[in-house]
Amino acid sequence: MNQSAKSEILTTDGIPLKISLKRAERLNKIRAFALVLPLALFIIITFAFPILSMLLRSVDDKQINTVFPKTFEVYKQWDRKDLPPEELYASMFHEILSAEKLQIGKASTRMNYSKSGWKSLLKKSKRKFKKIKEGPYKEQMIKADKRWGQIEFWKALGEMVDPITFGYYLNAVDLKYDSDKNVIQQPENRRVYNSTWIKTLKVSVLVTLFTLLLGYPVAYLLATLPLKLSNLLMIFVLLPFWTSLLVRTVSWIVILMQKGIFNSILVWGGVIADENRMQLIYNQTGTLIAMTQILLPFMVLPLYSVMKTIPPTYMRAALNLGAKPMHAFYRVYFPQSVPGISAGGLLVFVLAIGYFITPALVGGKDGQLIGHWIAYHLKTSLNWGLCSALGGILLVVMLVLYWVYNKVVGIENIKLG
Amino acid sequence: MSDSFVKFEKVDKSYDGEVLVVKNLNLDIPQGEFLTLLGPSGSGKTTTLMMLAGFETPTNGEIYLDGEAIKSIPPYKRGIGMVFQNYALFPHMTVNENLAFPLEVRKLKKSDIKDKVSKALSMVELGDFGNRMPLQLSGGQQQRVALARALVFEPRLVLMDEPLGALDKKLREQMQYEIKHIHEKIGITVVYVTHDQSEALTMSNRIAVFNDGYVQQLSTPDILYEKPENSFVAQFIGENNQIRGKVQSINGKNCVVKTDTGEIIKALKVNIDSEGDDTTISLRPERVEINPTNNNFENIFEAKIKELIYLGDHIRTRVEVCGIDQFIVKVPNTYKGAEFQEGVKVKLAWKANDSRALDAR
Amino acid sequence: MFKLIKSAFLGALGLAFAATAYADFTFVSWGGAYTMSQQKGYIDTWDDRKNGISVENYNGGLGEVRAQVESGNVIWDVVDILPSDAIAGCDEGLFEELDWSTFPEAPGGVSYVDSIPENGTGSSGPISACAAPQIWWTYVVFFDPSAFPGKKPKRIKDFYDTKKFPGKRGIHTWASANLEMALVADGVKANKVYDVLETPEGIDRAFAKLDTIKDDVVFWSAGAQPLELVKSGEVVMSIAYNGRVGAAKLSEGANFDYIWEGQVLEGDWVAIVKGSPNKDEAIEFLKHATTCEAQAEQAKYITYGPLRTCGLDIIKKNEPWFHTGVNVLEHMPNTKKKVKRSVFANPAFWADNGTEIGERFSAWMGK
Repeated sequence: MNQSAKSEILTTDGIPLKISLKRAERLNKIRAFALVLPLALFIIITFAFPILSMLLRSVDDKQINTVFPKTFEVYKQWDRKDLPPEELYASMFHEILSAEKLQIGKASTRMNYSKSGWKSLLKKSKRKFKKIKEGPYKEQMIKADKRWGQIEFWKALGEMVDPITFGYYLNAVDLKYDSDKNVIQQPENRRVYNSTWIKTLKVSVLVTLFTLLLGYPVAYLLATLPLKLSNLLMIFVLLPFWTSLLVRTVSWIVILMQKGIFNSILVWGGVIADENRMQLIYNQTGTLIAMTQILLPFMVLPLYSVMKTIPPTYMRAALNLGAKPMHAFYRVYFPQSVPGISAGGLLVFVLAIGYFITPALVGGKDGQLIGHWIAYHLKTSLNWGLCSALGGILLVVMLVLYWVYNKVVGIENIKLG
Repeated sequence: MSDSFVKFEKVDKSYDGEVLVVKNLNLDIPQGEFLTLLGPSGSGKTTTLMMLAGFETPTNGEIYLDGEAIKSIPPYKRGIGMVFQNYALFPHMTVNENLAFPLEVRKLKKSDIKDKVSKALSMVELGDFGNRMPLQLSGGQQQRVALARALVFEPRLVLMDEPLGALDKKLREQMQYEIKHIHEKIGITVVYVTHDQSEALTMSNRIAVFNDGYVQQLSTPDILYEKPENSFVAQFIGENNQIRGKVQSINGKNCVVKTDTGEIIKALKVNIDSEGDDTTISLRPERVEINPTNNNFENIFEAKIKELIYLGDHIRTRVEVCGIDQFIVKVPNTYKGAEFQEGVKVKLAWKANDSRALDAR
Repeated sequence: MFKLIKSAFLGALGLAFAATAYADFTFVSWGGAYTMSQQKGYIDTWDDRKNGISVENYNGGLGEVRAQVESGNVIWDVVDILPSDAIAGCDEGLFEELDWSTFPEAPGGVSYVDSIPENGTGSSGPISACAAPQIWWTYVVFFDPSAFPGKKPKRIKDFYDTKKFPGKRGIHTWASANLEMALVADGVKANKVYDVLETPEGIDRAFAKLDTIKDDVVFWSAGAQPLELVKSGEVVMSIAYNGRVGAAKLSEGANFDYIWEGQVLEGDWVAIVKGSPNKDEAIEFLKHATTCEAQAEQAKYITYGPLRTCGLDIIKKNEPWFHTGVNVLEHMPNTKKKVKRSVFANPAFWADNGTEIGERFSAWMGK
């Protein structure tokens, strides 16, 4: 036979087998691709693209350069020791006058990040400079607003000379650029982010730990009880889901405040003295209690669904083989529930690290977690660069966590049921 | 009590306080015996096993193991090996670790553990599989590991809860012989639960047939098959033709039964009390002759062949006789058997001793 | 008969559309009792068009507005905003500029612009070219008199005096108004507060005053909280939004007293989002919602004062004005007597310094 001589296998119709197979497979591939396409597009549009644009925003510093291009050219020549030369004043003057009002608004918002006061200075100057007819400008500008004569304002522009900046990231960890783009610490009374990061991580870790400690026995009970009882119990577990944030918060306040139910019971029972009522809310304790309650279902549900798949015969087998109940649990049951612990732990941690409304309501002075600042810069200060940098760091923290987790536990060990 | 290694004494068990799943169980199992608890699901056999293992507590009565009352001894102190229905091999441990588990909790020396584990593995012919994870093994291999694990700590008694249920037919039969051989070799007492009667017949020294919480009959496999004491056992063990009727007369060990359609059958009196009782006659399909060549049969009836099913070694023949059209006769595939046609009228014959008059359930 | 069914059917259909897809435009505000008062004061009184408005809630800030404008996908038409956002939003081109000459005059030929009193910017008239006036609201200290069996607190300095009036204080978790009140309590004249705050020493002085009560402070972050705090006795005095206190007093009969001295008055404004597809309709709505009558009407349902003076005049003449039949003026922050001892929040100051001082306040709070 010829075919065998050529060592190429043909189909019955004489087409080479490999080509024929590819053709047959191609349709399957197209079909599979078509099936995932909507989701892939959805994820790209709603997830990948926004994250990318967030990361771009966190380093973008073009705005000023486009409004004051010439000024920044001149600025680069300035020695930054004494007040700038007339040339710099003049170009600033002309560019303020010629820029559109909107551009000035946007630029001043950015400039105000590095030195408070730029905002009103630019706005006022735009109005007042119209009266200045001709140079030299330096004296007249200082006369129009004395802040033009303060070197700090000029120096603050130094960090903006490049169209790309890491200033927002520095800001997010209590650092900043000086006028020569050296990295320095923020003044002491503006250092809030590092302590907030630490507080946020601490709260998230503790909440994850508490939900695990409280949720594990509950999930175990749910998984082993008869269906009727476990359904009832499940309702209690899910109750926080169905209660509005405010109702939940108010009930915690009623229970935990100094004259609240919990303290009163303790006083009534003689556990603590009336004047020693404990501060359980409007501090970190309150944050931990409230967040633990709210996030508990996110721990219990993955645990439950994993435990549900562990047949009771494993424990029986272990007992039968001579292990005492605690030992049997530790050696046989617990290792099999680890995927649930991982899934629940990661889920709770990820959710906890972004929490900000509940902590703000019950956390009092300790209630501002990193989510608060992200929301603040997103909605109130409109400093989206810093907002993006904070989000970017959060993303990196999560990726690092994920990486460590993968190294230690193995990502294939995550299981939701 | 010296002759019984395991003893159930007046054991009742109820889960809900309303229904008894095990009723007045009295059972003696001598050392070294392979006893099978056989019965349909819900008959109480698994509950009995679980009480013996210590996972269920008897509601009434006592269980003795080697003369010691064990009702209040927790399972981990009973020293009973067990093979579970789905093997219950710990999925996160290797085969070696699974086998070492019972030895470690008994705080044996590491070297001893190693010896015993490899010995147990070679006993079930899995010597090279020690480092595998259970899920990397086939069903039959997992089954052997489970068996080895139940035996590795040299328990006094091994319980097996439908251990072969998940295997395919061929493998199941092979494992039946293996378990039987291991039992014979090490002489351990085995209590085995199954709902598969052929498995029970193959493996057991004795079989306890469970139904409705009671032990219906406890005997050796041959007696159980040949001489079922009630119609449940007759029907549950092997194949069985049933003819309903009324007892017309009793004459010592024999009796005469009139069927619902008027035929008179001479039968063996087994489980009836008096004349006029309703009864069910039980008759094994292989004890019926078609067109007999001699006169050794007390019962001969006209019948009509309804269906022939070719099964190789025998022809399963469905006939209509005594008003029943589901009457089965097993005809050996001889020259004679091959002649029958559907629709042909024939004579059926059987002996009075083979037709057992049982209760009418 | 057939005709009747047909017209009923069409009517139902029309209603359904009016309620959903054909809302003429979207009005976004803060929710709760405040939005309800706007619904009753502005929307329900807008006779023929009241069904054309769909009302949404938000939590303040320009985040959503900026996102809508930058993406070109404008969903909101009219937004209720704070002064600082009214200015910043206008500067950044997030809101439409309005032509005040087309807006309704006050009685006696007072122009629209002149009927808006000085509101922290140093001059009368709208706070920015984009924002039409709504109400005066204020950060005010209040307490439950039964918490003080002897002498009751009267002055703002009593709030910072835990020796004379022991007990915890409730303050909010952000800087604005906290610094101003602290300075007034420290002896700064109400109208000089921002002159002091413009200097670094002034800010230090405010924080130093806050330091004196730091250990006795419970921080709140949502408007409902201070009421709960005082009611339950968790704190003896708290800063709150005056409308919340007024509602508790007038609608629930709560026994609270105000300390008006040192209150920090802020306006609330409405603006049209740049690129609103219903701009013309929205302008008509703003004209209606800022008439003297509509302004007064809103005050029937909440104790925030009308921003336009002519609205206040209507109330003065017609007391008892509140919808329950009681006098409302004494609960309003912007009567002449109260205003003298009050601080007008300066949005320009906070636009310049908000973030920096905000960070410092948070650092101070977390210490």
